[in-house]
Amino acid sequence: MYAHAGIVLGVMAGVFALARLFKITTELSMLAAAIGGAIAHGGLISPRHIADGAFTYFDVTLIFITATFFMNLLKHAGGVDYIIRGIINRFHRHRLLCLLFLTLVMLVPGALTGSGSVTVLVVGTLVGTVLTYMGISKDRVAAIIFLCAAMSAAAPPINLWAMMAAAGSNMPYVGFFLPLGVISVLGALFSMFFLGWKGTPVQLDKVMAELPEPAQGMAGWKVLLPFVVFFGLVLAGRIWPWTMPTLGLPLMFMIAAAVTVAVSPKRLPIFTVARETVQGLLPLIGVMVVVGILVQIMALSGARGLISLGVVTLPLPVIFAALWLILPFSEGLVQYAAAPLLGVPLILLFNMKGINPIIALAGMAVMFPIGDMLPPTTVVGRATTMAVGFKGSYYRGFVKRCLIPAAFILLLGTLYIIFGNELSFLVAG
Amino acid sequence: MKANREWIIKGIALAVWAGVLVSSGIAFAQHRQYKEAVVLGAGVVDVRTLGDYFEPLKGTTNDCNIYILDSGVPGGTLLIMGAVHAEEPATNLAAQLIVENASATTGRIIVAIHENRSGSTVTRPGDAYPQFFTIETDWGEKKFRMGDRWANPLDSWPDPETYVHYPSGQLLAYMDVRNMNRTWPGRPNGSLAERTSYAFMRLIEEEGVDLTIDLHEAELEYPIIGTIVAHQGALDVAAMVSMMLTAQEFTIGMEISPLALHGLSHREIGDFSDSPCILLEAPEPFLDRVRGVTDEALLLTGQDEFVMKAGEHGLLYWPIDENGWPIDIRVARHVRTIEKITELWTRFHPDEAMVVAGFPTYNEMVELGVGHFFHDPSTVSQDRVAFE
Amino acid sequence: MTIMIVYYAITAFFGAVLFWNFVKSKDVQKAILYLVILMPFVLRVFRLK
Repeated sequence: MYAHAGIVLGVMAGVFALARLFKITTELSMLAAAIGGAIAHGGLISPRHIADGAFTYFDVTLIFITATFFMNLLKHAGGVDYIIRGIINRFHRHRLLCLLFLTLVMLVPGALTGSGSVTVLVVGTLVGTVLTYMGISKDRVAAIIFLCAAMSAAAPPINLWAMMAAAGSNMPYVGFFLPLGVISVLGALFSMFFLGWKGTPVQLDKVMAELPEPAQGMAGWKVLLPFVVFFGLVLAGRIWPWTMPTLGLPLMFMIAAAVTVAVSPKRLPIFTVARETVQGLLPLIGVMVVVGILVQIMALSGARGLISLGVVTLPLPVIFAALWLILPFSEGLVQYAAAPLLGVPLILLFNMKGINPIIALAGMAVMFPIGDMLPPTTVVGRATTMAVGFKGSYYRGFVKRCLIPAAFILLLGTLYIIFGNELSFLVAG
Repeated sequence: MKANREWIIKGIALAVWAGVLVSSGIAFAQHRQYKEAVVLGAGVVDVRTLGDYFEPLKGTTNDCNIYILDSGVPGGTLLIMGAVHAEEPATNLAAQLIVENASATTGRIIVAIHENRSGSTVTRPGDAYPQFFTIETDWGEKKFRMGDRWANPLDSWPDPETYVHYPSGQLLAYMDVRNMNRTWPGRPNGSLAERTSYAFMRLIEEEGVDLTIDLHEAELEYPIIGTIVAHQGALDVAAMVSMMLTAQEFTIGMEISPLALHGLSHREIGDFSDSPCILLEAPEPFLDRVRGVTDEALLLTGQDEFVMKAGEHGLLYWPIDENGWPIDIRVARHVRTIEKITELWTRFHPDEAMVVAGFPTYNEMVELGVGHFFHDPSTVSQDRVAFE
Repeated sequence: MTIMIVYYAITAFFGAVLFWNFVKSKDVQKAILYLVILMPFVLRVFRLK
């Protein structure tokens, strides 16, 4: 079985490399790798495995599309420019306050929904533009947006990695609020101030002249109303969980989009915006669908098991030393599925070794989202570069700029695991 | 010329795409619509559906069959629930084996073979489960659906962004709103899984169920395995069953249902009804995340080199060797444990006696295979055949 | 139930947008990717998966 799974993995890597050599896009090369792996596994497999795999991240894809559609409508209505002008007007003299305010704005959407992508898609462009006017270079802006979005996904009350791993290891999702809160807020503040403290003072007149004039008839309430409706719906679901009908995030975004259309001072080209949305998201959702297919074939052939086994059978000191690499890269490979795949066996292993499982899982659950900028999926990373309009090199520009704050967050996560018992007082909170 | 080439490639891509779509669409539809035949044993006196106990469920995917095995002799009532997680096939096989072979001689047995039928109509994307598995019988192969842990999104869509359990308020991952072992005691206007749990609670109340048994299988990496998990109302019986079976037949542990874990059958059914609940877990290596090739053979034999390797590294909570955990043994553990529970329950609660007959012995099931106990639906009167 | 129907409508709408982008795309690699992404949308709208 080892040889079989190893061969399948080898064929996948070979087909991917060959396809890239022939200038096939990354997404289609991965699809070719999946098909190659399937053939290496057992000849012609049932095509339903392709369709089945394509469904793996369907829920997330729908959230991506609807969230971006909402934000694109707001942009077209002139709402985004309006908010940016407002924030700069109010905070241009107080850099510290402005950065703190922007960190808070970044943390809220992900903390409520558990998704870093939602943070990027809902507030990424807006915060990114303000940061740019504060004299921060585009690569730093992209890094701040990504890292704060990752920390927002990690922040309580909703941390999907912790929830999935807790469910898989028979632990109630209780006692995580403070452990997750401390580490994610520290990570977000460090990222924001490390990358964003240095900059140039905002030259108000120049910025105001540069920013597009808001559309005629645009007013504060018209911009805020769709957000109020969206967050109102999220909160209402939490406050009255058993009386509110279950709307789900995609519908909440579509309702916010409908409100945007209704209050927009100008008529919005809905179908054109929808087309632009899908066009802009193509690399992102393309990768998600294709990775789903790849993961299906890896599970089918035992290649996924081989990778998982390889990780969990490492000696404990090696796990401690390598987890900061393993967790983000597994997230890059299989997204949220990394939590049940590696999170569950690891948390059970730590528990067996007498380490406080809540603290250890909180540490791990903050390390996973850092991998959202890593290949092959690069989901939130690419969404970020798209949202802030970063045109430089993805790896040598954006990823490189993320490295120091990411290392800080990963170090915090690792310390949580190693000193799980010493930090167990946090669980009481 | 270039435009022509572009359209030729797009045309070919469209044709291939349509081919994949049609062929997979047919496969999905066949899986969702496949009906498993159940031959009603002599003990079955009535087949109702869950909708009889909660009207709004009538006609939905989860309006599952409720088999009544009534002795006519006053005694206790036992409810057996299979396939709450439809990716744990030993559970529905055990429940079906009881329906086809067993009878009650005192009291009643009520059986649901597919407790969350919606979950049995879909497999998990990204996990490469086989859609079907077949069991060798004396009269040929019998085909069963393989399912998923969660209800089918075609029956329950959308999920909330996070699932808040009713009534505890405990937060759970969003997809667990479709996981029937996280939705007890349920509510009448909730998700499909919550409504199904609610319907079972009504059944328990209306039928005066004295004891509920919920059948499960688990991965060997999971700490709750090869065990009985009991609500405090059935601790005496569970402890005695565990001791007796371990001493005389096979190892089975016993655990007390945790108070802080909400939504689970062994906690909520006992807390919200007069029936304590006992949950049984059998080992299913197919569910382990470190498993190798995902196929029907692994599902049925439970043999896996990677899982064994994980065991060598002390990562498992249950032993495994090259013999694996075959489906016959897993089903036999469940059937025999249920029989033992009825014996001990009757001893502890003589006024709620449940005396059963027709259960094959553990050795018979392991040696002859579970298929030996499934009857040929083509040889019996069609009014004695039900479909799942 | 009403909400579920709305979800089918949302899926059908974006499915149609994906297909339209496939038709309009000049880049064949992008066009193929549109088709791959479209697969779950079609299967869901037809209630097959």
